[in-house]
Amino acid sequence: MTWLTPEWLCLIMFLTTLVFLGLGFPVAFTLAGTSILFAFISLGLGFIDLGLFAAIPQQIFAIMTSKVLVAVPPFVFMGVMLERSKIAEDLLENMARVFGSRPGGLVFSVTIVGALLAASTGIVGATVVTMGLLSLPTMMRNNYDRPLALGTIAASGTLGQIIPPSIVLILLGDQLSNAFTEAKTAMGDFSADAVSVNDLFAGALLPGLALVGLYLAYQYYVAYRWPEKAPPVDKADLGEIEGPFWKYLIKILIAPLALIIAVLGSILMGFASPSEVASIGALGAVILAAHRFTPERHLTYVLAAISFFGLVLLSNIFTLRVDRTDATPMDFIALAIAIVLTAVLLYGLYHAFRESFRQRGREGEPILVEVMRSTLEISTMVFVILIGASLFSLMFIGLHGDQVVEEFLSSLPGGTLTALLVVMLVMFIMGFFLDFLEIIFIVVPIVGPILLQMEVSPGVTMSPVWLGVMMAINLQTSFLTPPFGFSLFYLRGVAPEEIRTLEIYKGAIPFVIIQLLMLVILWFLPSIATWLPKMLYGSPIY
Amino acid sequence: MLERIINRIDALNQRVGNFAIWLVLAMVLCQFLVVLLSKVFGISFTQLDESVWYLNGLIFMLGAAYTLLKDRHVRVDMFYREASPRFKAIVDLFGSLVFIIPVAFMTFGLSWSFVLDSWYNFSTSEWILEQAEGIPSSLPLISPFKSVIWLYCLLIALQALSIAGKAWLYLSGAATSYNPATLEK
Repeated sequence: MTWLTPEWLCLIMFLTTLVFLGLGFPVAFTLAGTSILFAFISLGLGFIDLGLFAAIPQQIFAIMTSKVLVAVPPFVFMGVMLERSKIAEDLLENMARVFGSRPGGLVFSVTIVGALLAASTGIVGATVVTMGLLSLPTMMRNNYDRPLALGTIAASGTLGQIIPPSIVLILLGDQLSNAFTEAKTAMGDFSADAVSVNDLFAGALLPGLALVGLYLAYQYYVAYRWPEKAPPVDKADLGEIEGPFWKYLIKILIAPLALIIAVLGSILMGFASPSEVASIGALGAVILAAHRFTPERHLTYVLAAISFFGLVLLSNIFTLRVDRTDATPMDFIALAIAIVLTAVLLYGLYHAFRESFRQRGREGEPILVEVMRSTLEISTMVFVILIGASLFSLMFIGLHGDQVVEEFLSSLPGGTLTALLVVMLVMFIMGFFLDFLEIIFIVVPIVGPILLQMEVSPGVTMSPVWLGVMMAINLQTSFLTPPFGFSLFYLRGVAPEEIRTLEIYKGAIPFVIIQLLMLVILWFLPSIATWLPKMLYGSPIY
Repeated sequence: MLERIINRIDALNQRVGNFAIWLVLAMVLCQFLVVLLSKVFGISFTQLDESVWYLNGLIFMLGAAYTLLKDRHVRVDMFYREASPRFKAIVDLFGSLVFIIPVAFMTFGLSWSFVLDSWYNFSTSEWILEQAEGIPSSLPLISPFKSVIWLYCLLIALQALSIAGKAWLYLSGAATSYNPATLEK
């Protein structure tokens, strides 16, 4: 079999894996199983040596001890806690009350709530389902144009992937940072700075907000150009606002905003690492949930939140080391205040946890237990896929598949732009069939180091932050694109029978165009993504 | 007989899962304590820092089989979702036997020396407890932590057997419906 080179075997492995994945067996084990199968075949043909196998336990152990991916469980915990405590439902209802009586008000409120939820959770399906169940009936009852309503819900639900903190960005950041180090090493630069998840969070913030702005602009245009598509809603259908408009708006937004500020602020100020921020967010979510269950304990939880911000402030002004010898009286006072604030915070947390253990969730177990269960399942799923995908990459690279990809990408006419377009297109199409997890874990380790060595302009190599943001928006677009987009499936699942699937597709298309427009804007104005991390962290790698 | 084995395995992984979910809470609290102590009071404990990633590793290594039991590992379900129970049972029987069990055996075998080496120093013939590399005063828990790989292999192999058993019972006509997560009568 002289035609069977390692490269051909690699291609066969790739196609076989796709076929097996399509059967529907869990992805994590399909990836690992197919890789092991082909490892034996390659070993028999003499394409790889046993040394490659020895790397497997080390790779698993590296995943077990990853310092970056530690952020996954706490962020998932935060998202699930917010979902189970039905804070999203409250927000939607209240926002509709505030904006509903204006033309287009309901679609605006869905978009804004989508953005708010995005900034605090980042689990895709949950947001679409919640909004589909809650807002869609209201919009249909009030004669909103169906495609507009459906497109808005499907698109707003995907914002969670691009607006930090999102799981997609954490995983992309982790993979890109490896790819970036590899690219720099290949270029002979051994001292380059690493790219971090925080860099990517900061990079994605402005493009994410820009997308929200574009969504709103489009909705505003539709609502004023064709008023019959988004008519103002009778106040009786939504419930009355208590007190003046602005006061009410602040009242409903203050709690979620406090959590968002705590999380995003900690990230952007470089106050803590992603997993540390995630733990803050997770406990914040517990307090928010408890506040919703027992409003009579309002003061306890508000004081806990104030204490948290007080502590951040204090620790930024003073150096509160307990073992300092040169402390001034002011420092001692600050330390004493810090201890009091900590006590208040812990007291609030104690009550919040007690409450989350007392309240029963949808499966009849305490909410806290249900959240832990769900967090365990989701995080485990992510990590086990990573283990499977790392076996796949090991085999792919062992069979020189990466070299084939590199030769192909660099042989394309048109240089960096074409190479990037091809990669983006492949990811886009993969997004129809696979979850973002598999795509990130398989594609980024292979193409990342290649793309990051390419020049976007003479002498300037591609920025990893920019590439990460492009990939994240690209995947988000893919999940929104008819007919296979995941978000559309979720929406179809909760939309009433009378909604035609074609209406969902029709509604999604304008938002897909907005997404593509954003990618084009980012190509010409990469600084939208790179400016903020440069400002905040001053790293020279961009 | 087969049903009893399936029930035993499911009960075992259910228990492991019920234990592992508390590690999630422990991890979140631990991580928060790290932030609070280090950012506010300038105190840091290496052991506490390390506990966070030890806990993270434990969560998914122990949770893998439990998640399999609950059928929460993500599937590409374009065909699977709408497919007949027969198709589902065949896919799961095939996947359990051809993917999971060989992977578990291979990983177990390949990690044999990787794990043993961290317990035993062959040059001085002494039992050791490995510490994290390059981190002074770290917890001497690397050896048991590496051994968790064995546990992971064992638990997922058992759960794969349970799934294969459920699929087999359905395909052979002994069970009237198929669900990888529960044994249907």
